[in-house]
Amino acid sequence: MGLRNAWPAGVANQVELVGVPFFPQQDYQCGPAALATTLVYSGAKITPENLVGQVYLPARQGSLQVDMQAAPRRYGMVSYRLAPRFDDLLREVAAGNPVIVLQNNGIWPIVKWHYAVVAGFDYPAGELLLRSGESQRLAVPFTIFEYTWKKSDYWAMVTLPPDRIPATATESSYLAAIVAMARVADINAVTLAYTTFLKRWPDNLTASIALANHYYERGALKEAEAVLRQAAVHHPDSVVVLNNLAQTVSDQEKQDEALALIDRALRMEGPFAAVARETRVMILQRMAKSR
Amino acid sequence: MKLTIRNLINRILVVALIMAPFQSGQASMISIDQVSTTLSAQADRNTVVNLLSRAETINEFQSVGLDAKSTIDRVAAMTDEEVRTLAGKINAVPVGGDGLIALILVVFFIWYFAFRR
Repeated sequence: MGLRNAWPAGVANQVELVGVPFFPQQDYQCGPAALATTLVYSGAKITPENLVGQVYLPARQGSLQVDMQAAPRRYGMVSYRLAPRFDDLLREVAAGNPVIVLQNNGIWPIVKWHYAVVAGFDYPAGELLLRSGESQRLAVPFTIFEYTWKKSDYWAMVTLPPDRIPATATESSYLAAIVAMARVADINAVTLAYTTFLKRWPDNLTASIALANHYYERGALKEAEAVLRQAAVHHPDSVVVLNNLAQTVSDQEKQDEALALIDRALRMEGPFAAVARETRVMILQRMAKSR
Repeated sequence: MKLTIRNLINRILVVALIMAPFQSGQASMISIDQVSTTLSAQADRNTVVNLLSRAETINEFQSVGLDAKSTIDRVAAMTDEEVRTLAGKINAVPVGGDGLIALILVVFFIWYFAFRR
C-alpha cells in the first residue's frame, strides 16, 4: 500500500477525534450505529434506534450504502461520498471529520460487510483507530484495513452539518450533495448549506439560482434579490438569473426595473426564452394595473 | 409477467406521489431542475425512467418486508442516481451487517502468513 513511505503532505502524523461518540452495535445493526456516531458528532439529536427504521433492512440483516447516504439528509446534514483514496480518508479525519467506511471483513469465500467509523490514525504505529461493532477504540494496522476496505471499492462517506464543507470536497460533487439533501431536508438547513457553498465558490451559477429560489419560496424577496444581483455580476448573460431577478423585483413593485431586466434577458437566445416572454407579459400586466 | 391489478395501482399511486413535488406552479421562477434538464425529449425520457426506477425500488423494498410509509420516505431521500443503483438489485448489492469476528480472523491469517511461514 505505500502509506508507510508516501504519507500525504500536510497531514499530521497522529490524530484522534476523542469527541466522537460510541454506540456499540446491536445484532447486525452496525449501519445505524455508525451513522448515529457521525450524525451525533455533527450535532443531530438522535440514537441508533431512531435510524433503524431508515437504514436497516431486516430481510438482509444489514444496511444498504444508498440508505446510509440518504438518511442523514432528513436530519439536515449533508452526506458526502469521498473519492476512493486513502489520502482523502486521512485528510477528512485530520480536518476533524469522522469517516464512515464499508469494509468486507470476511476471507474468501466468506463475505462480511461491515460499517465502521474512522476516528483517528497513528502513523508511527501504522494504525487506524475505529469505532467498530462493540469496540470503542479498535486499532487496525493500515495493511489490514486496506485489505478489508478495498473490496468495497474504498467506499467512504462523511455527514457534515450544513455550515461546514468536507476537507476534500470538490465543487461539483459537493453541489450535488447539497442538491440531494434539498430533496428532503428542512429549508433552513438547505439555505445554510447553499450559503456556505457560495462563500467558498461564489461564482457558481446553479447554487446561486437554487439559493435564490429557496429564499423566494419562503417569501424572503430581499434575500433572493441580493443573491440574484450577485449572480448577475458573475453571469451577466444568464437568462435564468435575469428572468428570476425580474420576477423577484417585480414582486416588490419595482416594475420599471423588472421590465429592463427581462428585456435584457430577451436579447439572449436559449431554452428559457419562452419563460422570459411570459414573465415580460406578466410585468406589463402589473404595470397596466398599477396605472 | 404476473402483474396484478393491485400491483399496477400501487405503481400508479407511487408515481403520483413522487410527481407531487414537481407540480407546484411557482410564478415564473426557473428552477435548477429545469436548468439541468433542458426541455428535450431525452430529458423527458430520463424523467420517466427515473420515476419507474423509483416505483420499482419502492416495490422491491416492500417485497423484502418494509412497510409502505418507511419505504416511500427512504426512496424520497435518494437521488435519481442512487435509485438507479438499487432498482432491481436490492438482493445483490452489499449490506453492512456484522463482521468483527471475521476481522479478527483476517488479522490472524495475515499474521500467520506474513510472519510464521
